[in-house]
Amino acid sequence: MSALLRIFGAPAILFARTLSAIRQRGVDRRATMVQLVEIGSKSSLLIVSGLAFFGAVMVTIAWAQTRKYTGNITVVGPAYFELMLREFAPLLVALLAASRVGASTSAEIAAMSVNEQIEALELCAADPIAELVTPRFVASLIALPALMVIGTIAAAVSARVVVTTAFGADGSAFTDARFVDATDVLCAFVKGALCGAFIPLAAAARGLKAKGGAPAVGEAVTAAVVDASMGCLLIDFVVAAAFLLIGV
Amino acid sequence: MIRALGAFGLGVARLTGALALVLARTTLNLPRLDRRELFRSIVLFGYRSLPLALMAATLIGSTVVLQAGVYAVKFGARLYTGWAAGYALTREFGPLLLGLVMAARIGARNAAELALLNVNGQIEGLRGISLDPFRILVAPRVVGSAIAITCLGSVTFLVAVCFEAVSSYFSLGLPLRVFFDSYQDMLRVGDLVGGLTKTLAFGLAIALVSTVAGLRAKGGAVGVGQAAASAVVLSCAAIFSLDLLLTPFLTRLFG
Repeated sequence: MSALLRIFGAPAILFARTLSAIRQRGVDRRATMVQLVEIGSKSSLLIVSGLAFFGAVMVTIAWAQTRKYTGNITVVGPAYFELMLREFAPLLVALLAASRVGASTSAEIAAMSVNEQIEALELCAADPIAELVTPRFVASLIALPALMVIGTIAAAVSARVVVTTAFGADGSAFTDARFVDATDVLCAFVKGALCGAFIPLAAAARGLKAKGGAPAVGEAVTAAVVDASMGCLLIDFVVAAAFLLIGV
Repeated sequence: MIRALGAFGLGVARLTGALALVLARTTLNLPRLDRRELFRSIVLFGYRSLPLALMAATLIGSTVVLQAGVYAVKFGARLYTGWAAGYALTREFGPLLLGLVMAARIGARNAAELALLNVNGQIEGLRGISLDPFRILVAPRVVGSAIAITCLGSVTFLVAVCFEAVSSYFSLGLPLRVFFDSYQDMLRVGDLVGGLTKTLAFGLAIALVSTVAGLRAKGGAVGVGQAAASAVVLSCAAIFSLDLLLTPFLTRLFG
């Protein structure tokens, strides 16, 4: 219970403060665009290659198993595509983004707060939340669902290519959207949006709290990445359970 | 364009070279490891990460069943849930997700510590009093975190399988006995060995990559943060590519 509070408490307070900062001071378009590039497009290479590898690994395993029991791998194609779109791609994209975005955000903010640049901002009557947290929050909220779409496409395409070229079977079943309906897509986007909102908040909460010298920066980064990835695992579980409970 | 390509190639060559150097010097120092530092790193990386690993195990176990159980019902293979969930866990999701979480915990921490020592000139200092930093700092950490991650992996598998059984009891109404029967009948020791091999490989990759990232750190507090961040990202990339390389090999070896 205390672990839950530790992971979600500070980000929740920061979330409320970010919302009020957005209401009072608005969103800085320019800073948000910069963060969109930083969070979105600079993570895309890691996420596309990671998910493409994952897609290839999953069909390799499926191939080894189906060969033993049913003999026809294309049977699992449509179910594989739905599972990838609904569950695996959001989870893995969120975990990868938690490492990449969580580490860089917390390192940047922690270095600023260790060097007392946050106090300097406050001294200039600028709100550090509006200046630092809001752009990252908005950018990540937009970028993560987009990254999820790209990652899903990468995983499905690499599965299809591997099945067609390496196993010599018809791979078109692995991009067959027969089982996919609106709730699957909704489930994926809910996960993406929640994790996208959570990651920068967790990282910024750890970064803003950093005190002391250089060791504090390293500690803040470690704690931020751990918080962000555990939070994403938990969010993923809760959303999956919720969608299962309402029976879709 | 050519310049960017060349810079990328140089970066890759530097990284591979640094990885090979750390690996070689660790292997050379294996017979005369510093015992105390080895135990310290096992406690620090292994024992201290236990709560996190257990929490991840419960979530991984329950999530795998929630996600895969729907399809077990759809294809009329409810009785095989134990096998399917156990297989997916030991062969793919257990090692992969544990590796990603441990890259965050152990990789970032190791890189941050080494980077701090490096930035403050303490590693130079060790060389100055003619102590080999690889023998007393680097090699014990690499060995310690590889051991720690493998041990954490086996505990994680155990806990996650129990949570899979409980989760399939609640979500699919599958009796615990049926779950463990199909688990016992259709899973072999080879599956477990395959999963642990993957975990060991991921652990070694995390240890090597984070050490290299820490030792390459330059310039003040910003350098420490950057080293930790790049350790996590590079470890994740290494885990995914190792996964792709190892899976065909392991499926051929263990079926």
